[in-house]
Amino acid sequence: MVRLITHNLLACHVKGCTSNNFPLKFQDVQIELQEADFNPDMITNLLPRLEWGALVDAARLVGDTSLPPEQPEMMDDDLLRKLHHVLLEIHVVEGVMICPNCSHSYPISNGIPNMLLAEHEIG
Amino acid sequence: MAPTDYLFVFAQAHEEFRVPELRSISELNGFEIGFSRYVDPGELAEAVKRPFMVLELEDDEHARALAKRCILIKSIYEFYAQGSTYVEVHEENRRVRSRWERYIPDTSFKFTVTGYNHGLSQRQQRNVIESFSYMDFLGKIDMKEPEITLGVFEEYEKDRRPDGQRHTDGEFRQAYFGRLVAEGTARSFIKMFDVKKRDYFGNTSMEAEISLLMANQAQAAPGKLMYDPFIGTGSMAYTTAYFGAYVYGSDIDGRQMRGKAKTPGIIRAAAQYGVANRIMDLCTFDVTHNPWRCGGLFDVIITDPPYGVRAGAKRLGRKKVREDRPLPSPRPNPDEAYIPPTKPYELSALITDLILFSRYLLKPCGLLVFFLPTVTETYEEVDVRTALCEGMELVANSVQGFGSWGRRLVTIRKTTMKCYPAPTFSSAGGEHVPAHKDFREKYFKGFKKESGE
Repeated sequence: MVRLITHNLLACHVKGCTSNNFPLKFQDVQIELQEADFNPDMITNLLPRLEWGALVDAARLVGDTSLPPEQPEMMDDDLLRKLHHVLLEIHVVEGVMICPNCSHSYPISNGIPNMLLAEHEIG
Repeated sequence: MAPTDYLFVFAQAHEEFRVPELRSISELNGFEIGFSRYVDPGELAEAVKRPFMVLELEDDEHARALAKRCILIKSIYEFYAQGSTYVEVHEENRRVRSRWERYIPDTSFKFTVTGYNHGLSQRQQRNVIESFSYMDFLGKIDMKEPEITLGVFEEYEKDRRPDGQRHTDGEFRQAYFGRLVAEGTARSFIKMFDVKKRDYFGNTSMEAEISLLMANQAQAAPGKLMYDPFIGTGSMAYTTAYFGAYVYGSDIDGRQMRGKAKTPGIIRAAAQYGVANRIMDLCTFDVTHNPWRCGGLFDVIITDPPYGVRAGAKRLGRKKVREDRPLPSPRPNPDEAYIPPTKPYELSALITDLILFSRYLLKPCGLLVFFLPTVTETYEEVDVRTALCEGMELVANSVQGFGSWGRRLVTIRKTTMKCYPAPTFSSAGGEHVPAHKDFREKYFKGFKKESGE
């Protein structure tokens, strides 16, 4: 935790910050790798919701270049396993996620991101 | 192939949850259960108060699938006969000889005779077994590992007769006879998930039986993604993850998820059950100001929302905003942990918002499973129906009663394929005022009505 699948599903939600608010930029990250059981159905079910470009960039930032830059038409077992590793086995345990638009900073501590907003950010 | 009759032996608890649990697990496994002896809803409501029911299934395999997963099932038998006397039982049993004659030649067997609400003496048990000797089984009697077990059940009405005396052997309400197909092994999960044995729990942690029933209403299974937006200490996450699902959790209070140790409490407890890896992620945020990038993400949303009793139901925002004064400036000291102000979240608004939010966040055909507290005296079914929105349909609604109040396990399915915009979490009351409105205030007043009403 925070897995890259999660990072791929979170956007900045400060009031008024509605464009260029995804993906959040990782900074000062500490990574841990943790094995997870491979379930191809799980990965296939996640595919329709992924933003591939953001995923590839986040993976690169944490040192993984196994994924192709464009989402392939066909997903074979080999690619599903690579995707499984990137989505589920790379954990950002400490660091910050910063909004590219409004620069709001979401800290990650012990694998849990704090995404509470300040009073003036909820309008 | 025509369906077969099966005798189900149920636990006598959570009676309203029995049929929803059966329907949910049979749906998960892709088969149907026949309830043709209980077509009338009144008959069904009476039948679930008793431990024995005769239902139809296509196959022994289906019985095994149910017994492995439904925590309210004690055992399932292939049904042979029932009656209010043994004369009736034997008459019906002889009529269905074709169901058991294949076991006559050389199948090893044993008989069990069990009284429900009444202990049977050894002598009585022997007499009962003797009365079945017309079946002429030629195989060996094997008490240890028989190939088949034939079960006789005597259902007595209550512990004692109306005059206070113990029942006489034989004065039962109904007797049943069948061949054991499956023992209910799911009941062992109740002990396994006992909250007191858990490495991390709090005073809002849901008891094991209920979190298992919720995981079954949610049809938790491998490949599914679930989300609990009020995860607290994680009660629903352990059972759903155990059955193979991946679970996201969020909460406005990070301390509930973390506890005091470095490794978050929910992860430590999940590790106890071998499912730490299926806790996808935990996030601290207010669900009414949530950071999900888009909708249509989850197969299931499963939660026990805060009723405002043991844990205050809160959302971000200030209770009272004075128009004439500016808001305090944000983050006076950047090094101090900032705790944003919160205001109460009234329960009926929370529930209506939760259903709207689920419609947005669920995949089509996804399920919302949650507990709704209600006031027993004033509850009506319309309380739940008016909280629904277009495209969200009620599947099940079972009450766990505590006297003057109760909590209802509600299952709702997203039946629409339409895309809806993200909800605004600004539900105000409709015309109908449900029993659960202002639940917190009612709870602390002991559910007494205002004087003069």
